[in-house]
Amino acid sequence: MADAATIAVSMRGITKRFPGVVANDRVDFEAAVGEVHALLGENGAGKTTLSHVLTGLYRADEGHISLYGKPVRFTAPREAIDAGVCMVHQQFRLVERFTVAENLVLGDRRGAGRSFRIDPSAVESQVRELGERYRLPVDPHARIWQLSVGEQQRVEILNALYQNAKVLILDEPTSVLTPDEADTLFETLRQMAGEGRTVIFISHKLHEVMAVSDRITVLRAGRLVGTVRTADATLQSLASLMVGHDIETRRRSRGAQPVGPEVLTVEDLWADGDRGTAALKGVSLTVREGEIVAVAGVAGNGQRELAEAITGLRPCRKGTIRVGDELLDHADPRTSFDAGIGYVPEDRLGTGVAPNLPISMNLELRSFRNNSFGPLLRLRRMRANAEEAIERFEIKTSGPQMQTAQLSGGNLQKVVIAREFSSGKLTVLVAASPTRGLDVAAVETVHSYLLDAAESGTAVLLLSEDLDEILALNDRILVMYEGRLSEVQNRDSLEEISLRMAGSADGLDAAR
Amino acid sequence: MRVTVERRLRQPRWLVVAVPIASVVFALAVAALVLLATGHNPLTTYHQLVDAAFLQTGSLGQTLISATPLAFTGLAAAAAFRMKLFNIGAEGQMYMGAITGAAAGLYLGGRGGPSAFVIASMVVAGCVGGVVWALIPGILRAFFKTNEILTSLLLNYVAGYVLTYLIFESESYWRQTKGFNATVFPTGKPLPHSALWPGWTIHAQGGIAVPLGAGFGLLAAVVVWLLYSRTRFGFEAQVLGDSDRAARYAGVRVRRKILSVMALSGAIAGLGGASQVGDFAHALDGDPNGLQKQGFGYSGIVVAALARYNPFAVVLVAFLIGGLQNAGNTLQGATFPAGLVGVIQGIILFSALGGELLIRHRIRIGRRVKGPAPTSPEPAA
Amino acid sequence: MNNSLLIVLIASGVAYGTPLLYAALGELLAERSGVLNLGVEGMMLVGAVMGFWTVQRLHATTGVALVAAIAVAAVAGAMMAAIHAFLVITLRASQIVSGLALTIFAGVYGLSSYLGNNLNLADQPARHSFSAVFPSSMQKWPIVGPIVFGQNVLVYVSWACVVAISLYLSRTRPGLNLRAVGESPAAADTMGINVTAYRYVHTIAGGAFAGIGGATVTLAITPQWVDGITYGAGWIAIALVIFAFWRPELCLVGAYFFGALEALAPQLQARNIQLGPTVLWTSSLPYVMTILVLVVVSSGTARRRLGAPSALGNAYVREER
Repeated sequence: MADAATIAVSMRGITKRFPGVVANDRVDFEAAVGEVHALLGENGAGKTTLSHVLTGLYRADEGHISLYGKPVRFTAPREAIDAGVCMVHQQFRLVERFTVAENLVLGDRRGAGRSFRIDPSAVESQVRELGERYRLPVDPHARIWQLSVGEQQRVEILNALYQNAKVLILDEPTSVLTPDEADTLFETLRQMAGEGRTVIFISHKLHEVMAVSDRITVLRAGRLVGTVRTADATLQSLASLMVGHDIETRRRSRGAQPVGPEVLTVEDLWADGDRGTAALKGVSLTVREGEIVAVAGVAGNGQRELAEAITGLRPCRKGTIRVGDELLDHADPRTSFDAGIGYVPEDRLGTGVAPNLPISMNLELRSFRNNSFGPLLRLRRMRANAEEAIERFEIKTSGPQMQTAQLSGGNLQKVVIAREFSSGKLTVLVAASPTRGLDVAAVETVHSYLLDAAESGTAVLLLSEDLDEILALNDRILVMYEGRLSEVQNRDSLEEISLRMAGSADGLDAAR
Repeated sequence: MRVTVERRLRQPRWLVVAVPIASVVFALAVAALVLLATGHNPLTTYHQLVDAAFLQTGSLGQTLISATPLAFTGLAAAAAFRMKLFNIGAEGQMYMGAITGAAAGLYLGGRGGPSAFVIASMVVAGCVGGVVWALIPGILRAFFKTNEILTSLLLNYVAGYVLTYLIFESESYWRQTKGFNATVFPTGKPLPHSALWPGWTIHAQGGIAVPLGAGFGLLAAVVVWLLYSRTRFGFEAQVLGDSDRAARYAGVRVRRKILSVMALSGAIAGLGGASQVGDFAHALDGDPNGLQKQGFGYSGIVVAALARYNPFAVVLVAFLIGGLQNAGNTLQGATFPAGLVGVIQGIILFSALGGELLIRHRIRIGRRVKGPAPTSPEPAA
Repeated sequence: MNNSLLIVLIASGVAYGTPLLYAALGELLAERSGVLNLGVEGMMLVGAVMGFWTVQRLHATTGVALVAAIAVAAVAGAMMAAIHAFLVITLRASQIVSGLALTIFAGVYGLSSYLGNNLNLADQPARHSFSAVFPSSMQKWPIVGPIVFGQNVLVYVSWACVVAISLYLSRTRPGLNLRAVGESPAAADTMGINVTAYRYVHTIAGGAFAGIGGATVTLAITPQWVDGITYGAGWIAIALVIFAFWRPELCLVGAYFFGALEALAPQLQARNIQLGPTVLWTSSLPYVMTILVLVVVSSGTARRRLGAPSALGNAYVREER
């Protein structure tokens, strides 16, 4: 039983509303000094919103917050930081063009921080010292855009430590880390908790939450479901708290479908990334008819570029892409589409749809050329198609003319999928992070579509940063690291997958 | 008391019309203050304005003279801005269209062809002149990623110098070299009779002359509307205007699209220039205080923005702003200062911009709701 | 030697380039905070006319009148910029359209013309104007004479401004904060920097600089007022900021280069040098050169395009959703 003196953060009756949705509904939350407290819930449960309320980014419509027994009301993020509450966000709040040192100086309000003249070099020694102490090594001179995503996260954490954070909140921190890096992070978090800080760990992944936390608070649909001690919890008990009912996850059964001939063949592909450096370095892969090939890997290793190359959005320096016998010899989305390649991009709102246009137009984004009478559009047919798609895929919308950006994440993804499937059976489907940010029901739906596609003979290439998803839906697993692919020999070995994700699999391959 | 601004889920139809109207009213109110501050009576000034624009005998005809070029430049701006291509060069494209249109009129008219043929060639030539001038920033944008705002705008100044040069500083084909007046003050060569654009007369208010250009303007509006709402071209343009990544994904050939939209925009503006020559000036007007002082290209942007880039609304708004411009020209002098037209237009645009916020967002003024009183923390489960 | 074309061009380049420099420095500040202000031409014209008006109507000694005129011009430009700032920062309007609206409102078809004609400022020489500071004996020194010592005080102040702004951006905390606001307003906001305040202050300061730039034309270069006297200098200034990769020192170099181009026409004419259809060619030259340099700069590698403040042109809203 925790008594009042050791409570660090106390949030009571927090309610936060946005147009059309109640993100937090009378939520109570409490974290003690020296503990790692997990905030668990599926996507959309309200975890991030709650933490934004705590850190002053949002203002709660109702409720109270106290810090170490004293009531506080933060009206801006700065006030929270000054009170010792720091957050490591999913989208980092770093200035990309600045160096690590400059970013730290930016937030510095104490002592030297109050001076008019600045000198980032003074911060360097502290950066190195902190980096060593907490296993977060980073070069203070490096510019943020030069760092890997994992290193950028270290900078965010260092920033919080530099500010002497007493309460540290991390929002889904392992989504950008390999399993080994995640373990190191957990050690760092335990170290910080041991020093008397409070760590709040937001996640939707049951394993992690069990591994790192002392207590777990579960949110569902904006409401508090309950707070348990990790020692007393099991994966099943947490899962049912999180979702409210037992969910049957459809998994790909081993040796399920007889797979057919090779449909997608990629050989020795070399392509450049946006910065001009090589993003794909000799990638080769094949996908057979009805097969699901899952590509794992931490973001930034070339997955996006691979998907773009196959779907014709990125030109390649060297190498070939073949669909069946047809060679796709230059990058053109129309040719890829005509060859039967469907694409569900990871960047839904940016590449997947034109956000301010109506749903009916987005549903026709790839096929409008076929639905036209010469240069004129067949508007009535387009509208009928749209209505049919909305019904078939159960897209929740107020009508086909609704602005696409207003849809929820899950419905948005349904629009993208509906569009790709609308032209009939696909030969190849490339899906990049298709369930990122979606709630459990939507994830289920998307997975069903992927599995149905494979069952009907489509060759599915799934690229995802979510290992659970990879493990659930695969006939073969490939791992992407720094522009190169390697194939996982033993799909049950998390250790092998993890090693490959960190790039240290050469030993494994050589030994065979 | 807290003011929150939140995005609307749906944009109510009535607001879309109400806001531009309210913008004009607000602008007139602010301009009234400016007038008062500089010692003019706003009420009499506005009365004079409306009178000169619409009510006096012959004023409607005059207004059409101002509105016709505005319809062209407004459509040119709307066609491009809708795709987030900020073609500020309608002014220069209009000058170029005037030059090429005048050339066609002078040459072909002088050869003695049928009037319809000469006029048709002027139309084509005018469009071509505008297209060529608009393709310069278009190519620079499509192939070199150069910002089209600056390039199209800088070319306006160049076009102005070319226009002045042709009439004032050289013995060019366009310049009138015969006659006494020619030596005193440089003017453009008058167009032969077959190159003059006819008009219709509406029998009201003592006879209103509707220039042929006005008809072309309406036609252009219909074409633009059809193009954007009913064709593949328009579909692709809309997607590209919204998100260039999605457009690439949809297989839009981005460079080609940029070039075609700029060409379309330039063609319309160029046609406006040909109309200036054929309908009104009947010669090439190279006077720096003539066509170049009117600022039709820039006013066209105001028209397009106020009309929210809808082609038919552009025509309507062009008529109203044309009235304003006409009144400004007629009344210019001590009682109606030069520059007031630009001031009012600017304020109208400011208000329209501010009103945009109201269309997209809802503003709520409310009290902060208090939560339950804090109780002592309960032990965790 | 001091009369050679080159020396005269450079000296005139400095003189003619000074309005460009002021306007570019102002726009640089605004853009560094993430606000694009296309209304520079309008702000310069309003500064030009109001500065001239002060000098014609204020009964005071030359020194006082000129200082007052510059102050008035700065305030006038700042007020114009404030309109734009309010529209794009608070009301989140399109920065491009708002800037254009400002040009139409304040520019040669609008307020500046209105004020100039209404206040009867045309066709008269300025009662006071800026002239060279150093004695003519120093101005006769080879090369540096005309170029460095032959300028008026506005030129020297502009040099000080370049140095000051450069130091401001690189060595001071507010400068660091400003850069953060322009690159990543979300990060700056989280760190407690008031994004809105920084944007307002720097946009309005930009207007003040533009106003001073305009006054430089009517009070130093051609001490007279004419409708639209800047002839598009405001637009060249905007382009200048891009060429200079948003760095003050490079703005200086660029401004003088374009100033020299502007000086080319009258100089060639004075020396009876014909270069084809002279007036057309040399009058267009500054604009054509601007376009060419823009093309070269914009088509560079991705590294070059990294020069622009990342958040330029976008409104910042803290509560998304």
